[in-house]
Amino acid sequence: MVKITSSDNQEFTIAKEIANQSVLIKNMLEDVGEADDQPIPLPNVSGAILQKVIDYATMHKDDPPAPPEEESKPKSSEDIEERDKEFMNVDQGTLFEIILAANYLDMKNLLDLGCKTVANMIKGKTVEEIRKTFNIVNDFTPEEEEQIRKENEWCEDR
Amino acid sequence: MTDPLDTTWATIQTGVDVILNDFEAGLTYEKYMALYTTIYNYCTSLKGNPSSISGSLQQKGANLMGADLYKKLKDHLKGHLISLMKEHDGNNDALLQFYTVQWEKYTRAGTYIHHVFKYLNRHWVKREIDEGHKHIYDINTLALVSWRDHLFMLIQAKIMDAVLLLIERQRNGETIEQSLIKNVVDSFVALGLDENDSTKATLDVYKLYFEQPFIAATELYYKSESETFLSDNSITDYMKKAEKRLEEEDVRVQLFLHESSKKPLISKCEAVLIKSHTLAIQDEFQQLLNQDQVEDLKRMYGLLSRVPEGLDKLRVIFETHVRRQGDAAVEKVAEAAANAASAEGGDAAAGGGEGGDEEEEKPKPKKKGKPTAPGADVAVDPKVYVEALLEVHKKYNELVMNAFRGESGFVSSLDKACKEFVNRNKVCNVGSSKSPELLAKFCDSLLRKSSKVAEDREVEEILNSIMTVFKYVEDKDVFQKFYSKMLAKRLVNSTSASDDAEASMISKLKEACGFEYTSKLQRMFTDMSLSKDLNDSFREQMEKTHEKDDVLDFSIYVLNTACWPLQASASGFNVPEDLVKTYERFQGFYQQKHSGRKLNWHFLLSKGELKANYCKASKTGYTYQLSTFQMGILLQYNTALKYSWEDLLGATGLNPETLASQMAMLAKAKVLLISDGTMGSAGSKYELNLNFKSPRVRINFNIPGKTEAKAETEETHKTIEEDRKLLIQAAIVRIMKTRKVLKNQILMTEVLNQLASRFKPKVSDIKKCIEILIDKEYIERKEGEADMFSYLA
Repeated sequence: MVKITSSDNQEFTIAKEIANQSVLIKNMLEDVGEADDQPIPLPNVSGAILQKVIDYATMHKDDPPAPPEEESKPKSSEDIEERDKEFMNVDQGTLFEIILAANYLDMKNLLDLGCKTVANMIKGKTVEEIRKTFNIVNDFTPEEEEQIRKENEWCEDR
Repeated sequence: MTDPLDTTWATIQTGVDVILNDFEAGLTYEKYMALYTTIYNYCTSLKGNPSSISGSLQQKGANLMGADLYKKLKDHLKGHLISLMKEHDGNNDALLQFYTVQWEKYTRAGTYIHHVFKYLNRHWVKREIDEGHKHIYDINTLALVSWRDHLFMLIQAKIMDAVLLLIERQRNGETIEQSLIKNVVDSFVALGLDENDSTKATLDVYKLYFEQPFIAATELYYKSESETFLSDNSITDYMKKAEKRLEEEDVRVQLFLHESSKKPLISKCEAVLIKSHTLAIQDEFQQLLNQDQVEDLKRMYGLLSRVPEGLDKLRVIFETHVRRQGDAAVEKVAEAAANAASAEGGDAAAGGGEGGDEEEEKPKPKKKGKPTAPGADVAVDPKVYVEALLEVHKKYNELVMNAFRGESGFVSSLDKACKEFVNRNKVCNVGSSKSPELLAKFCDSLLRKSSKVAEDREVEEILNSIMTVFKYVEDKDVFQKFYSKMLAKRLVNSTSASDDAEASMISKLKEACGFEYTSKLQRMFTDMSLSKDLNDSFREQMEKTHEKDDVLDFSIYVLNTACWPLQASASGFNVPEDLVKTYERFQGFYQQKHSGRKLNWHFLLSKGELKANYCKASKTGYTYQLSTFQMGILLQYNTALKYSWEDLLGATGLNPETLASQMAMLAKAKVLLISDGTMGSAGSKYELNLNFKSPRVRINFNIPGKTEAKAETEETHKTIEEDRKLLIQAAIVRIMKTRKVLKNQILMTEVLNQLASRFKPKVSDIKKCIEILIDKEYIERKEGEADMFSYLA
């Protein structure tokens, strides 16, 4: 069992194979060696998010090891498992924090899942809709906007 | 405002230093995490460029910050290594010790740092590499590259000196600390980095800085060692040494070298230890063969098989040697036979001649041979002869299997040599067909009832070894001829020991030479069993139609003339009156069954029994076992007690030679007494000896004379010559029929090919046969073209 502490000092005790889904924790355990009582501090992850991450890792603890990068098929935002979709059914703030945590903890699958979820939120939306969805203030000058529109003309699908 | 890079780096540097210098002492989870988080935060934060907002600039900012950290770390590693270099001193073992300890520590630290910088690796380094920037590596590789550039290159020569010295000491028999070399090798291998793809490793560094000097040193070492050793020691000792050295080097690779070095190292060793001494080693081969030094031969094979063409010369020597051994063995047999013959002919003193054994039917030589120079036609015991051939084959076959690992080149050398000495040797000087003849005779002695070999398994074993010799025999047709002759005799005289053994031998021959070769032999067995049925039905019929005491105990074999190599007697014969009835009854019976078939009676091969009641010496009388001819003679004495030679000739209808040979046994045993001359002389008289006495009740007089056996052998050889001519002609016609027009040379080759499985025709014989066929107008010479023949339909 491994103890981990969140940025707000919540302590979690989890099975090693669950902890090892974070490459960061896995490497560190290998490098430093295991010291039972010592908790592993994760200063960049809050307790609430860490709980979500642990939930995810527990859910996926029996997954087969991912195939090497070159062999896996091109990524698509469509192939999300049902249980993952459900897992990602959270408010936007939590979603982003999960993505950040996954990036920090080096959990590729979770990071991919987060990014796919965000991609699906963007898909099929106009610029304005996207701005609205993510609460983005348009701070481009009209010239800048024109410039960008021109540069990205190729991807307009009409 | 302090540069965030500086503060960040200050934190990181502390951590990195701990890892580099003092890892065990003090990295807790907390510090490790702090280090990672610092780098993570630095890379993800935009605080370094608070003023830039635009997307593209943002990205650039992150890039720059990654680059900053990377450069800082790179410089720091360099500094660390430079100070490490200053620490090192000492040479040889001390240096290796220093190097391996530091290497181990450093590479481990490299992995940790790599992990701590994982975030940088995952993003900044990955992007740099993806974009094709050279000289940017993941952190672990960076650590290795730094080591290579700032430490390894400076001291590798010194390290190799130390390593080579250590290996030399080991080769000299000292115990060394192998792990030192192993670690150095590992570090050389690890430093082989592919500049283009950091995930791939190359062996360039190892090959260049380790393997090359190592192999060179090895060559030098063994060159001088082998030369010194050879000047003081024998080749056999040298071979042991070389073998041991090669083994050692093999182990050396496993112990502490990279496996890729095995091939270059071993082949270099082979070149120095074996190839450069090939001639000297090969020269020893004959000596070892002479002394049957199997172990040394095995070793020599093992060594020379490692170098190209090392074995070629051995194969040649081996072939000649086996050939000589075969010849010598046969010569010994011939000499022993000659000695025995001369002893037999001279004194009774040398009763047990070596080759003599007490083979019942050992044909006696006509002439006396001198012991020192065996006569050409000394009769050789087939058993002794074949066993001598086999012994040589067995010995060298074993040698090939054991010492030369059954290598195909040696197998074929052995085959060639055996073929030579089996077909051409002292005994065969008499005639090239002597070997198959003796072989067939040996088979006969084995398959006959008198055979001393009791166990079926043993017979089978010997038959197998006979096949070994048979394989080498060129004149397979001669063997076939003799074999079928003797088989016929075994069957007709029911002297075959075992049907199973007979069948087994035939199936072996079939396997070796094909169906055609044995078809007649098999047909002979069929006739035998058909005859059994025929006899049964004849007997049945006789019982029905005749009184019991009118019927003789009679049995007969009816055999297909085409399949049985039986020679009719040249002599005529009057069937004795007592037999005529049965003779005619069967003739009638058979014609009725198979009209149109002609029965030829082979009285020469027939036999019967007579009950002799005239002897005064015995109350119960004797039973004589006789040939039918002998019966014809003795039955005459039912009417008179004394006949002249001329009387007997007339009464029996036999020709003088046959009569004389048939009478010989009777006269010798004193059944008949000669007066007024010698056997066969005009006017000589032959009287029935009423005082005949014998300790046995049944007496066999039906023993063929030696001269007959000898004559038969010669006769067989003659028929073989005739058969061969026909076979050659048949082959020529077959070939010409398909090819129509053919050059002489090609025709010769084809004929030789076609007949190879039977015998090796002489070219002059083929030419003769071509002439015959031209005379018979099967083929003609093509006009205007020399040496061309065409087929005449």
